[in-house]
Amino acid sequence: MRASRRDFVKLGMAGGIAVTLSRLGPAQAASGPQPFLGHETLPQTGLGGPISGRIDGVAKVTGAKLYASDFRASDMPGWPTRTSHALLVRAHDASHVYEGLDLARLDPAAVPDVVVTAADLARLGVTVPAFYAGDLLCPVGETPLYLGQPVALLLFAQFDAYDRARLAFREGGMLRFGRETGPLKRPNYAAYRFTRVAGATPEAPDLYAPIREGWISPGFTESSGRPIWAPLPVAEGGAYAEGARHGEAIRAELKAADPAVLTLERAFTTQSVDPMFLEPEAGLAWYEPSSKVLDIVLGVQSPFEAAESVATLLGSAQADRRPARIDAKFAYVGGGFGGRDHTPFPLYVALAALFLPSRPVRLAHDRFQQFQGGVKRHAFAMRSQIGVDRASGLIRAFAADHVLDGGGLANYSASVATVGATGAIGLYDVPKVDVTTVAEHSRGVTAGSMRGYGTLQTMTALETLIDEVAVALPLDPIELRRRNALPPGGRTMTGNPFSVSVRAPEILDKLEAHSIWRDRALHQRQARPGVLVGTGVACAAKDYGTGADCSLGAVSIDPEGRIAIHSDAVEMGNGIGTALANRVAAHLGRRADAVTVAQVDAFDALGLRSSGDPYAISQAEQDAAARDPRWVPAISSPTSASIGAQVGTHAAAEAARVVFRFGLWPAALALWAIDSGDPRARQWRDAYWQGDRLILSGLPPLPLKAIAAEAHQQGGVTGAMTHAFSRWAWAEATFGLPGEDWTADIDALAVRRGAGGFIRIDRRAVAFPPTEYNRIGTAFTSMCGTVVRVEIDRASGALTIAKAYSVLECGAVLVPQVVLGQAQGGFAMGVGYALLETLPPFEDGPGNGQWNLGRYLVARGSDLPLHDLEIEVLPPLSPREPPKGMAEVVMIPVVPALLNAIHAATGHRFQSLPVTQAMIKGVLG
Amino acid sequence: MTTISLTINGRPQGPVAIRDDLTMNDFLREVLGMTGTKFGCGAAQCLSCAVIIDEADGTSATMPTCIAPAVSFDGKAIRTVEGHARDGRLTPLQARFIEHFAFQCGYCTPGFLNEGQVLLERLEKAPIARADLERVVAEALDGHLCRCSGYVKYHEAVRAVILADPARYLA
Amino acid sequence: MGLAGLLAGTLASRGGRDGPSSALASPESFAGIADSRARSAATFTELGRVLTHPRCTNCHPAGDRPRQGDEARPHQPPVFRGADGHGLPALRCARCHGPANFDPVGLPGHPVWHLAPAEMAWEGRSVAAICAQITDPARNGGRSLQDLVAHIGDDSLVVWAWAPGRGRSPAPGTQKQTEALVEAWIASGAACP
Repeated sequence: MRASRRDFVKLGMAGGIAVTLSRLGPAQAASGPQPFLGHETLPQTGLGGPISGRIDGVAKVTGAKLYASDFRASDMPGWPTRTSHALLVRAHDASHVYEGLDLARLDPAAVPDVVVTAADLARLGVTVPAFYAGDLLCPVGETPLYLGQPVALLLFAQFDAYDRARLAFREGGMLRFGRETGPLKRPNYAAYRFTRVAGATPEAPDLYAPIREGWISPGFTESSGRPIWAPLPVAEGGAYAEGARHGEAIRAELKAADPAVLTLERAFTTQSVDPMFLEPEAGLAWYEPSSKVLDIVLGVQSPFEAAESVATLLGSAQADRRPARIDAKFAYVGGGFGGRDHTPFPLYVALAALFLPSRPVRLAHDRFQQFQGGVKRHAFAMRSQIGVDRASGLIRAFAADHVLDGGGLANYSASVATVGATGAIGLYDVPKVDVTTVAEHSRGVTAGSMRGYGTLQTMTALETLIDEVAVALPLDPIELRRRNALPPGGRTMTGNPFSVSVRAPEILDKLEAHSIWRDRALHQRQARPGVLVGTGVACAAKDYGTGADCSLGAVSIDPEGRIAIHSDAVEMGNGIGTALANRVAAHLGRRADAVTVAQVDAFDALGLRSSGDPYAISQAEQDAAARDPRWVPAISSPTSASIGAQVGTHAAAEAARVVFRFGLWPAALALWAIDSGDPRARQWRDAYWQGDRLILSGLPPLPLKAIAAEAHQQGGVTGAMTHAFSRWAWAEATFGLPGEDWTADIDALAVRRGAGGFIRIDRRAVAFPPTEYNRIGTAFTSMCGTVVRVEIDRASGALTIAKAYSVLECGAVLVPQVVLGQAQGGFAMGVGYALLETLPPFEDGPGNGQWNLGRYLVARGSDLPLHDLEIEVLPPLSPREPPKGMAEVVMIPVVPALLNAIHAATGHRFQSLPVTQAMIKGVLG
Repeated sequence: MTTISLTINGRPQGPVAIRDDLTMNDFLREVLGMTGTKFGCGAAQCLSCAVIIDEADGTSATMPTCIAPAVSFDGKAIRTVEGHARDGRLTPLQARFIEHFAFQCGYCTPGFLNEGQVLLERLEKAPIARADLERVVAEALDGHLCRCSGYVKYHEAVRAVILADPARYLA
Repeated sequence: MGLAGLLAGTLASRGGRDGPSSALASPESFAGIADSRARSAATFTELGRVLTHPRCTNCHPAGDRPRQGDEARPHQPPVFRGADGHGLPALRCARCHGPANFDPVGLPGHPVWHLAPAEMAWEGRSVAAICAQITDPARNGGRSLQDLVAHIGDDSLVVWAWAPGRGRSPAPGTQKQTEALVEAWIASGAACP
């Protein structure tokens, strides 16, 4: 199966369980708990907050119930009021046979009411979704597949019993293990080879490129499970053999001792880390057998996927315990960073409810459990070779081999491997590239999605290598990068050009001109006694998007001019609610009065249908399916891959354009008394908002409130709902609307007239991006560069970041303060990854259940140059440049820039992460 | 079991009988349903669970609730994130947090808000020199972890409140 | 002793430190050393196993920041000595450390939890250096030798080192055994190794 950033589960639901979100109207009884959506729809009225700032600001500074971990049964209207509690017990041993729990050791006051084991799941008849393949609970008599694998789910009617049991399990000794088997062996998750040989000139077609030849995997493995990368003289796997022969030729060229070429071969290893979002995973669920409804409250980055996975899980369950309906509610998320995209946690929340019927059950990780069970960043072992023409400084060839530790379950390993590999040449134009990558199973905690997603690892290896090349040539590090920077229109490793702005030269110019870089020699000379000073620079070009990104959005306006937005995008701190409000305000003249995010089923009116895997579908299948006006390649996708600004806000922005063009504009014309024959009637593109007043030159400004009232009066369009799909380009469709055929970057539309309901408008024509775009590694990229000056205390090895500067480009900036905040946060996470954070892979690592903060260090204020960090965001290339994702790229150059600065200060090149104070002290002697 | 009474945000709570090994964090979140105070680590490392304790002598300090027995709060008066805004009005610190985009996911916000508020009240009683402002704010907030923001805007927001009213906070 | 404690003990012994069950040699076991100076020094060397244990050195740190746990890692969150050894105004010891250990979460406590003064820093020093320090009134808080017996034998914060709560290994031996060693060391002339 082709690696994809998400494993798309088709709509239609396994077992036919409907997934809905009950609409608890605002007219709820005055007493009793507020409806869930009431909590989650922001800004709430009542406390007059500042008019600028975050949409979710007031809720977050007043401690309102907002996150999944905030909700208890008594907060949910119509639920029983008491909350029961679930404890997910995990294995701290993956080398011995698990023999069961020793519950006799528990205090009688801590005994669970229900113990759920693997045998119980088998009796229930669960279906584990393919993405999470593996035993949800380790069966007695088997060796756990990985450290931290759940072995049992304990359910408690009373909090106190749960609390006591939780402590007893933390103490240890409750799990029995027998015979030593050693860790279980499993095949690797994925192996790919990306090889490109450019033509003789930049314009000439590539001699070999994945976009043309397809992505290739070796067909054979050694007995150890390692792929055999060499082209074997056998009949099978001809496509692989052809690519591999090109790859081997590149490697032979790199090995040949050509005095005109500087060749370096270096190893680099990166560590496992935890996303360390501050809210541990939590959920609440209630299964009522009489109505056969499973209610579930979750906080994830992938709500649509979570709801479908729970439906798949229970779709083939015993009839008497199989829900007929799943009512899924998705809350604000207390940090994600990728670690809440496709996590198995929701499955356990659902199971807890199924096994304690009629009682709402809460499952919540504490921090030890989150370290033990939460998805981690992949550790990489890399070997890179680079050949650079000594005279010109041009990179002639690059080859690398990556090995990823995927941990116990596949999760996103295949995808992280491909994204890391295709990002391995950063922002450079390299005519000959050969990169192999393999993601392996291990007994470690499962690794998956995390900010930077493979490219953090591979670009750190690359950018430290580039720095070493610059010193060896010698050539100024920025000049070396400039000579090799990918020009606009230049081809990526897969052989396609980026379809967005490529601004490497500007980024490099900015870095070069900055005083931190310009004055680096001066600061090194002027170092205080006992202090080593060094300055380092690095750049990154990070993909955003996944090649199958969706957006759902609805915008409506009431007769008072109040605006409401609904979106399937998730607010995890990324400011998506505020970005939605700002983007809609640009079309409708007012920041939204109500924004509801993470809604996957508020869009029933679109009647969407989907089939096939959007990453694997053939062109013929797509063409046939597209004839159904309700068909789309995918319905909803996670808020991840830095896609929020471009895609997450897109459907709502398009909906707002429809409301303006077919609702507010006709109403404004009526108020201005301009009839349809007047040429001004078609000048809607020339009108603009000044505050909440609509301006068309020569006419009196109209207040939004009056226009909205008129639109309702006329029965014009007062609400629109859209779906959009992007496969490195938007799907485009045409819809018949009054007075004008409307062609836009959407593939489904419903509109509301006056106070009516939403009615779907079938598209007249649609153009989905061709399926061959699935061979693109990425077509979207944003660039960021960082220069940093460090001071190292020679005696202790203590490192201080004296000054830092990051410059990035991200197209249109929807919320400048959010972009700035992401860049500052990305800097901090980069510092943590480079200098502080690390998790040992196996028995000493987080899977043993003994890890918490304190032992695991993340950057605090005192680790950062809080008053000496400068962020610059390049203005968009044009006023029409769309927003580009930037939340990941801002983290990446920070890491190699720090390593390059450490080299400049100490003369030592560290080739593993993190670089701790003790390690620096060690090389200073 | 021990029976305790305390004052939270000016309102008396209890008497209520609780286990001696119940944490204050679980007392607030599970017993009282006051989930504005967060749970982050359970080890006094992130301080997202910090509340304000108002001592009888008129001084106040923050305290993490995840590592403290609830029984130790018997007779105490505390403030939580739910108690800052009064009469429908945000405090200046709350307003600046929003305007400065100080937080992102917001999960650490209750801790930062309580810490910042205690600092403001401390400076009101013992103003500091302008030259010490950056350092004093940095020291005050350093115990609190934030994974999203990189801290810069939190510090800016706290300083903005102080600089907007120098007569009150600065010597 | 739960798993956490056992693990802690393992870590400690791996680092060359005493595990939770390690006993102290009694003063009598040094009786065979005829030379009183040598006997005294040997007694102090045994005492040194206590003084260099993380239960002691963590709060007798070399700098202004205490250490934490059996791994003696720098204290998180970062806290510093402050004017009175009870922390900076922004983060006082007592904010987290209550009057007693709170074992459900493994947090140590004592009514006067604080750092030893900077001149009494032991972290990273040899037993001989600590001995020189401990017998120098300028660096031992102006204590006489008999005061040291009281400090080590009776001071309740010192007592804590043998009952540090869940997740931390106690100092070697018992407090009484340690007090007996201090007395024997003084009686034999308070010689340093």
